[in-house]
Amino acid sequence: MKTRTKFVIGGALILAVIIAMSVQELQETTVFFYTPQEVLASPSNFEDKTIRIGALVQKGSVEWNAKEIQLYFNITEDDNEFIHVFYAGVKPDLFREGQGVVVEGKMKGQRFEANQLLVKHSEEYTVESEHKKNKDDYYKSIQAQ
Amino acid sequence: MKKIIFYLELVSMLGLLICGLWIFLKLPIETSQGFPQKIMYLHVPSVIAAYLAFFIVFVYSIAYLWKRELMFDQIAKASAEVGQIFCVLVLITGAIWGRTTWGTYWVWDARLTTTLLLFLIFMGYFLLRMSVNDRDKEARLASVIGIIGFLDIPIIHKSVEWWRTLHQPSTLFNVDSGEVKPSMPQELLIPLLASTLVMLLFYFYLLLLRYQTEKHTDKLNQLLAETEG
Repeated sequence: MKTRTKFVIGGALILAVIIAMSVQELQETTVFFYTPQEVLASPSNFEDKTIRIGALVQKGSVEWNAKEIQLYFNITEDDNEFIHVFYAGVKPDLFREGQGVVVEGKMKGQRFEANQLLVKHSEEYTVESEHKKNKDDYYKSIQAQ
Repeated sequence: MKKIIFYLELVSMLGLLICGLWIFLKLPIETSQGFPQKIMYLHVPSVIAAYLAFFIVFVYSIAYLWKRELMFDQIAKASAEVGQIFCVLVLITGAIWGRTTWGTYWVWDARLTTTLLLFLIFMGYFLLRMSVNDRDKEARLASVIGIIGFLDIPIIHKSVEWWRTLHQPSTLFNVDSGEVKPSMPQELLIPLLASTLVMLLFYFYLLLLRYQTEKHTDKLNQLLAETEG
């Protein structure tokens, strides 16, 4: 067998292994976070495993204890199914109700104990004047009814 | 050629200066992110410049494999080097932006990981070029890597749609009922487009400058080889 042929076969084998490994890896890790529904649907799968969950901060659920640096809130996608989250750390600047967040940590019983809290930001940008105009239009539309 | 390079330098430098002043002194503050949002005017134009740079690498790599014209490889190499600089800029500005908004410099989500992959592929591209002594062989092998490397860009661009990522979907190429409609008011959009245009001019300036150097280097090596032989 020619040296060249050997190289081609060897190279093809290495390439095939690399592709197989990447595909496998991609399937396992391309989900950067789970949704609350997925976690609540099969809690036993996620018990004591470090996972990330991404959802919105439920309105009216945020409790921030500035003295102890403890943050409690619920994350939800539809307001019906939610997970209670505990995070012992500083509240990020952009953290607010209704904001998308990704928390990393473990389920401890019914509560999710997060050791990292990431805030997603929207792809929509607005400026103050436009924001105010939208708000005014909204109020006007309510009054017109 | 020298004249074109001079005018491109002049216009892109002035443009960058004007855009910088405009962005920091005149533009309104974005509602939800506040002041840190201004890094967008460096991050997004760098992304688009990197996309274009590696697209040029792709086109000229194919052209080289087809026609075996040394000039095509010189352009591909020059564009890859400039593109890599923009790629590094994207990673750095992205990390700074991420720290202030997401709360982290880096996460292994699909968008960030595929961008890092692009950077690594082109590091390999330069290492390959450095390790091969035969100029024609270097050009041939590098062209193949250049073509493969570019294929990562559509994956980067679509990553935010294909996978769940921390990175938000595209603002500029936001599609609203079938047509592209940036989800951003005119006041922020126009400066972004202007910065992008200026960044592309800056890219062409660097590309031509680098291409000239490549051309002279190859010419010099050729002359040296002739006198020695």
